[in-house]
Amino acid sequence: MLENITVSSAPHISKPLSTRSVMIDVIIGLVPAMAAAGYYFRIYALILIPTCVFSAVATEWLCNLIRKKPNSLGDLSAVVTGIILALSLPPSLPIWAAIIGSVFAVAIGKMVFGGLGANVFNPAMVGRAFLTASFGMMMTSWTVPATIDAKMPRIAPENMMHSRTQATPLWWSKLAIKNKLGADVYSNAQFESTFTGEVGGCLGETSAIALLIGGLYLLIRRTINPSLPLAVLLSAFIFAAIAYLIDSDAYVQPVFHLTSGAMLLCAFFIATDPVTAPLTTKGMWIFGIGVGAITMLIRIVGEYPEGVMYAVLLMNAVTPLIDRFCKLVPAGGKLK
Amino acid sequence: MANDTKVAAGLYKQTLLAGLWRENPVFRLLLGMCPTLAVTAAVKPALTMGLSVIFVLLCSNIVVSLMRNLLKPHLRILMFTLTIATFVTIADLFLKAFTPVMSETLGPYVPLIIVNCIIICRAEACASKNNLIVSIIDALGMGVGFTLTLCVLAGIRELLSTGEIFEVPVMPDAFVPWVAMSMPVGAFITLGLLLGLVNIISKKKRKT
Amino acid sequence: MLKIKHFIQQSWLLIVSSFFFGLLIAIASAAWSPRIEQNKIDKLNRLTAALLPEAKHFIEIDTEIEIELAKGKRKKIKVYKAVSDADECVGWSFNAAGQGFQDKIELVVAVDKDFQSIAGFDVLASNETPGFGDKIKLPNWRNQFAGAPVEELKLVKTGDVKKIDSEIVAISGATVSSEAVVKIINNSITQIKKQMQEKGLIGNGK
Repeated sequence: MLENITVSSAPHISKPLSTRSVMIDVIIGLVPAMAAAGYYFRIYALILIPTCVFSAVATEWLCNLIRKKPNSLGDLSAVVTGIILALSLPPSLPIWAAIIGSVFAVAIGKMVFGGLGANVFNPAMVGRAFLTASFGMMMTSWTVPATIDAKMPRIAPENMMHSRTQATPLWWSKLAIKNKLGADVYSNAQFESTFTGEVGGCLGETSAIALLIGGLYLLIRRTINPSLPLAVLLSAFIFAAIAYLIDSDAYVQPVFHLTSGAMLLCAFFIATDPVTAPLTTKGMWIFGIGVGAITMLIRIVGEYPEGVMYAVLLMNAVTPLIDRFCKLVPAGGKLK
Repeated sequence: MANDTKVAAGLYKQTLLAGLWRENPVFRLLLGMCPTLAVTAAVKPALTMGLSVIFVLLCSNIVVSLMRNLLKPHLRILMFTLTIATFVTIADLFLKAFTPVMSETLGPYVPLIIVNCIIICRAEACASKNNLIVSIIDALGMGVGFTLTLCVLAGIRELLSTGEIFEVPVMPDAFVPWVAMSMPVGAFITLGLLLGLVNIISKKKRKT
Repeated sequence: MLKIKHFIQQSWLLIVSSFFFGLLIAIASAAWSPRIEQNKIDKLNRLTAALLPEAKHFIEIDTEIEIELAKGKRKKIKVYKAVSDADECVGWSFNAAGQGFQDKIELVVAVDKDFQSIAGFDVLASNETPGFGDKIKLPNWRNQFAGAPVEELKLVKTGDVKKIDSEIVAISGATVSSEAVVKIINNSITQIKKQMQEKGLIGNGK
């Protein structure tokens, strides 16, 4: 029975469910993605993930010290922010940039608002947005996985900057829109590689299978409400399908959009952040549809190949409105 | 008589210092946010903007203070705006004639000084009620306070977004510029953090 | 009568000071406007002179040149003839504008005296993304235009920036801005060349 309770608006039933236990679940859910990152990007993952986690935790500790507030590291939210940020970074990003991103994510994205629960935007995405705006070049240079490039450094980091770069699947699809080559871009081999993760991309977003396993774990544990990932994926699928039906030469198949880029990472781990997503199921649907639609709009019409980050940030901004719009009516109460 | 001058000197000193810290237009009164956010990507335009504001503020305070006894209450805002617009136009022409590059960088923000609240605020709150000397000192204090704040903000942003201060490189070669700091994002974040810092300092001051 | 008296009583200060302020602005404007005009010309000359180093001064040609912008809009273009010390024509320059990634891009373009090759271009005004699109201002990108033939320039993703030909290598991450510049130059040069040939200002070449 204890498993049946999720983070939701009133009525509440008491349960020993704390922020900490939710965060532990999320971390466990992210383990497959981290493992895939470690498998495909080797030394990069080994450096970036701990760097981000450590600097995020250190920033939170420091902010609490300055604000003379009790230590809030125990809720592990900083760890989750660090992991998600690391997984959404390009593998070859220099360490100092990752540190700036994590500090920014926790300090500006969360602590200035008053700590966990008071932040408007998803901290990890705030950090990533700042990095994208500041170091655009670095944030769009991708590295091929170690399984393709045998020369990729496995232990020594000194020749880090020399690794070959490769375009991401979404960059291909962007190119396809311009050159009307959608059918060529999409092939079974490529679909497979977006599924297993053997493509260029951010650390944790390449492997669809690992993300699905992690997402499934969260769903089984009832840590996240299934409505949200469902809404995101469904609306993205529908919009991609509309584009595909209109012009199948230019636009790639809808499934390709779901498995490539940060779509799955977003659906299961980023959009579901309990602080910045709406509380009610109805609200989650609106939020999820918005995220999926904006992402697809940016991917199909916009200039950037990937739009998940901006979609999440934009929808975060309207979350309070959605919550007000979807107020639950108490039993016996009347809608005003 | 001697006592009077002493009191007056104290008043002048207070008026001058008010603009610099206690009533700093940007940090305490939160006035003039438009130029504060828009022209502080680098120190040079920020300084030019600050000097233009000092000029306009000084002229408008002098004029308003001189005619303060002739002002009709219901026409005073009209009078202030007219005065300010005149001097802003002159400042704009001056910049265009003598520093064309700077004038281009600042673009519409020079004409926009007309609607800068600091100037109309000082005309209303100080110059229309005080004598010429107090008005001049007030204009200088507020203007210098505004300029200094702009320069601090611009210094931080220019340092991080280009690695230079006043177009002189100061950062080591390995430094990668944070482009976001030269965008509006950088302006808002830097201003927010500085406001917080100023609040912390003034809170501490009040306690002691 | 009473009304007028009341009116003047209330607003004499406003009227007097308006007059006075107007006078002030007029004086300032009269004193500085030649300088302001000169600044504008200087800027154009400075930019074009850098593109056409042999030119000593520029003469605006009398003939009207009009080009068609994208949406059927027509725009008059001022074409300047660059003249060397020996009073020989060494090239032509003109301003061209078009839509960039975020805002209008204004360029000054210089070509050689026969409209055979581009002497170079510079950016007068632009508002491209810092770090990406604003790299169109950088000399090492602009240099690949200097000496390129005026016939249709092509934008390519990869290639050698140092090689001067009709292939222009796009700035990585800023394809739209690079494309915009190439489009502006292509569009304006072809139309201006045609009209100048029609009007006999330059030979029909080749």
